[in-house]
Amino acid sequence: MEIKAYLMIEMDREDGGDGHRNAVEELQAMPEVVAVAPVSGEYDLVVEATVDIPIRVGVIADKIQAKEWVKRLHVLKVEPAAPNPFLDEVCSTPGGKSIRWCAQCGLCSASCPNVAQMDYSPRKIIALVRAGRRYDILTSNTMWICASCYLCTVRCPKDVKITELMHTLERLSTRHGLSYGRATPAMYRAFIDSIKNNGRVHELGMMTRFYLLTLSTGKMNPLATIKMLPLALKLLLHGRMSIKPTKIKGSEQLKTIVERAQALGGAR
Amino acid sequence: MKYYSYFPGCSSSEGTAVAYGLSTQAIASALGMELIELEDWNCCGSTPYGSTEELEAVCVAARDLALAEKTGLDLVTPCSSCYTTLNKVNSQLKEYPDLKAKVDECLAAAGLKYQGEVKVRHLFEVIYNDIGLDVVKSKVVNPLRGLRVAPYYGCQLVRPEPGFDNPWNPQSIDHLIVTLGAEPVPYPLKDRCCGGSLVIPELDLALGLIHKLLESAASNGAQCIVTVCPLCQTNLDAYQDMVNRKFRTKYNLPVLFFTQLIGLALGVEPKALALDKAIVSAEAVLSPYTKVAEPAVQTRGGVTYG
Repeated sequence: MEIKAYLMIEMDREDGGDGHRNAVEELQAMPEVVAVAPVSGEYDLVVEATVDIPIRVGVIADKIQAKEWVKRLHVLKVEPAAPNPFLDEVCSTPGGKSIRWCAQCGLCSASCPNVAQMDYSPRKIIALVRAGRRYDILTSNTMWICASCYLCTVRCPKDVKITELMHTLERLSTRHGLSYGRATPAMYRAFIDSIKNNGRVHELGMMTRFYLLTLSTGKMNPLATIKMLPLALKLLLHGRMSIKPTKIKGSEQLKTIVERAQALGGAR
Repeated sequence: MKYYSYFPGCSSSEGTAVAYGLSTQAIASALGMELIELEDWNCCGSTPYGSTEELEAVCVAARDLALAEKTGLDLVTPCSSCYTTLNKVNSQLKEYPDLKAKVDECLAAAGLKYQGEVKVRHLFEVIYNDIGLDVVKSKVVNPLRGLRVAPYYGCQLVRPEPGFDNPWNPQSIDHLIVTLGAEPVPYPLKDRCCGGSLVIPELDLALGLIHKLLESAASNGAQCIVTVCPLCQTNLDAYQDMVNRKFRTKYNLPVLFFTQLIGLALGVEPKALALDKAIVSAEAVLSPYTKVAEPAVQTRGGVTYG
């Protein structure tokens, strides 16, 4: 059974200087530590740690106590951790663990060009993942209208990989069959099919397939599709759409690679 | 002459951004670059693949990296999306040994191997850092005096990794514009998103973003926009008409690739720069600078600027 422990730390202020930041980084580097946050009052920091058996709480407390900048340490609370398999799933993906450091400052939401159209802002999405609200998240539109502009990622003061999180949520939503009714996954599908068939994306073929996919499933209305025809024609007349796809010589080699990756079943 | 392995990417090789590929080839040798196209490259996978099947996407990109590694040269791409995707895969393979082991297995099944030695670079960064603006300046025969250009960086040249320019307030394209004799206008939205490939499934959303970018360029007095990304060019150029109809505006802003702007200043023939592929014609805006190709004017140009 997983156990959660909250430890309060009073820091030794004798050192002065930039000790606070270093202390936080040192604590975050410990594998058991889930989150570190500043507190006001008697103590300076609160540490949230996860351990497998109760006796390890003492081990961690000793480890932290041994650090020279710790003046006083108090184990505030020890409780059984509520299981959150969704958070675990997200954290097991490349870069996913970074959402544990989120301080909910909201700079990501403030930076997002598409936040106004999102069911949940990026900040809320992180809060919901940490609350284990799997269904609400994976059926939302948020990750599907993320344009991967990475503005949130470079601005995040806690180095949370928000854009990568959106990609992860897109994958999970698709894998669990919760992306129905959305147009973006259909575009992704058409894009990937084009790569699998030719090795390169053939834009005309990809677009045609996308509109066929969305029309046949009612995700896009026929009028909207007809509105796209003049644009396609213009691109065609300007020599910006090749009629025939280019197939790479190594398409069999690429197929072998993709099939082996499928057999290995995802990157987790 | 500097040698590079060249990865045009799908759209610049023969798709919507074919003008980008053509103009890149047209200026390469003049700038002292030999771009050797990576033999039998495949699509990098871009965001759509990585957002659907992670391991497959990483493996698809790793094939390109494995092929590039054999050449021993830096891999240069003009596409910001290819640049970000290939770079991301490169760093993920270094950072996550579990992932690397799986990718190795998949590549080995196809007789390939990737050690992680390839350096992925953006064409703009190569011209900015390796060739250098001093050299570019020395080759300018047709300074674009008086041309007011909005420098549009887009997203993935300067993000997500802190790279060669400041991700908060990039300046490198501004510097290039000055080097070519033109004038960069203040462009507050220079690093904002055009919507990328979301323009296909989420048209209205993307049109809103494109509208803001055009508005910011026009209201700052730009005569044209210059970009370093095939997606940005297509969105701002081909969808400009739709923006005008949706928002009742009258933008008529040509959107050029930075390679086309360099080519013009270098005196490359406009035809070789594929300027005619643009939906919003740049002819009127660029006419004072394209005439130089004619012999009589060229002589005058020689006297004036020589």
